[in-house]
Amino acid sequence: MGIGTKVARLWQLRTILWTLVVRDLRVRYARSWLGYLWTVLDPLAMAAIYFVVFAFIFDRGDIGHRPYFIFLLVGLLAWQWVSGSVNSTALAILSEAKLVRSTNLPREIWVLRIVIAKGIEFLLSLPILVGFSVYYLVKGQLHLNARLLFFPLGVVLLFVFLVGAGLLLAPVTALVTDTQRVVRILLRMGFYFTPVIYAVHHVPEPWRSAMWVNPLAGITELLRAGFFDAPLDTASVVGAVVVTVVTLGAGIATFARLERAVLKEI
Amino acid sequence: MTAVIRTEGLGIEFYRSRKRKLSLREMLYRGGASHDRGTFWALRNISLEVAQGEAVGLLGPNGCGKSTLLKMIAGVLIPDEGSVTVSQGVAPLIELTGGFLGELTARENIYLTAGLHGLSRDAIDERFDAIVDFAGPQVRAALDTPFRHFSSGMQVRLGFSVITTLDDPILLVDEVLAVGDRAFKEKCYRRMGQLLAEGRTLFLVSHNEKDLTRFCTRGLYLRSGELAADGPIREVLAQYNADWTGAE
Repeated sequence: MGIGTKVARLWQLRTILWTLVVRDLRVRYARSWLGYLWTVLDPLAMAAIYFVVFAFIFDRGDIGHRPYFIFLLVGLLAWQWVSGSVNSTALAILSEAKLVRSTNLPREIWVLRIVIAKGIEFLLSLPILVGFSVYYLVKGQLHLNARLLFFPLGVVLLFVFLVGAGLLLAPVTALVTDTQRVVRILLRMGFYFTPVIYAVHHVPEPWRSAMWVNPLAGITELLRAGFFDAPLDTASVVGAVVVTVVTLGAGIATFARLERAVLKEI
Repeated sequence: MTAVIRTEGLGIEFYRSRKRKLSLREMLYRGGASHDRGTFWALRNISLEVAQGEAVGLLGPNGCGKSTLLKMIAGVLIPDEGSVTVSQGVAPLIELTGGFLGELTARENIYLTAGLHGLSRDAIDERFDAIVDFAGPQVRAALDTPFRHFSSGMQVRLGFSVITTLDDPILLVDEVLAVGDRAFKEKCYRRMGQLLAEGRTLFLVSHNEKDLTRFCTRGLYLRSGELAADGPIREVLAQYNADWTGAE
């Protein structure tokens, strides 16, 4: 099947895709009434920790932009989408083996639905950001600008990147079981390689260029652009677009190549 | 009549070794001897056509590829050789409770599974009562309990009920009727007979001669991955039995 027909088929099946997304969210919130609270509590707690550590203990509120708390929050909310999505898409096929074996749907759907479900959780967590933005606006410490329009662009780019990464990881994990552990370690390293707690321009020069290969650097730049007046690091944004497109292509190709073998294994 | 299922030179190859999943260590040190890379053809050169409304029984000893063939027709396995063309929707009764989630209630599960197989919400609303009725009063009483609290019999009954309510014109049945008590089995048989009378196409895998002759008119006999016979069910059964007695 060509990519065009695959996409068309997925579009036909959008109601099924939506059913799966709702199912994911429902399972997540079926067991705990505090479900929604957990989605926002985690990044909020992390933001509080980093804020205390860097702004008070190290007294380095200048490693990001000011207000540092907003700077952290944007990065951490996006990072939560990244880590949740990567961890779950790596297991996308294995964890739903029974379903994959019993329904004849384009198999990409199992990856897609996770990225979408985690994306919806991300969107649902945004009110926290809005709340704190209002607080800092009132205090006069935050000045929004027109580049806020880059925010949805960053969200789209992040979505595409996560789909690509998921398509790459899901079949590999199904075939090689310990990929999961490797992914977990890489994610932990990735957190510090991504400008979540610091800004790109704080990285010393020979290394700053290396940041371009990490699409999350450019994506966080886009997400933050509207909140801070600092100039946009265009190089990292261009890098993000290129790496995202390459990742998606690699993901689609890998998935198509390994699909047959994966179906025999699960 | 037109063919709704057509396979041409169908073949699929599996790894022989029982340990199929590789660990990273094994991938890195693939010393050749440490891992048996041998493969075998679970099915090969299967060419057949099934017309609309036909009831086909699939028989053969364990491990001859019956389920594998069914899965390829259902589209949940991809052949390594040849092709399968299925021109109508398929309702697979292969892993009945595959789409069900333990944490959700039976009610939510019905909507999700039927939705996954392409039924719209309105259509499910309409059939909801029929589905629950068929699954029995025990299931009705427990509609809002999490699915994992169901007994395995109840789970299978609900699964069968949901899948056979779908509109798909091709039914694939893989020995699912082995479970469930006698009364429910009889109910399932009646439902299958009814679906056949509506003109659906049936593919039945079974070791039970009575089931096969009750529903099927045509028999396919698979022997170590090859199509050994294709003809009227009684003749194929006779050949299968002759082979079997000969082997003993």
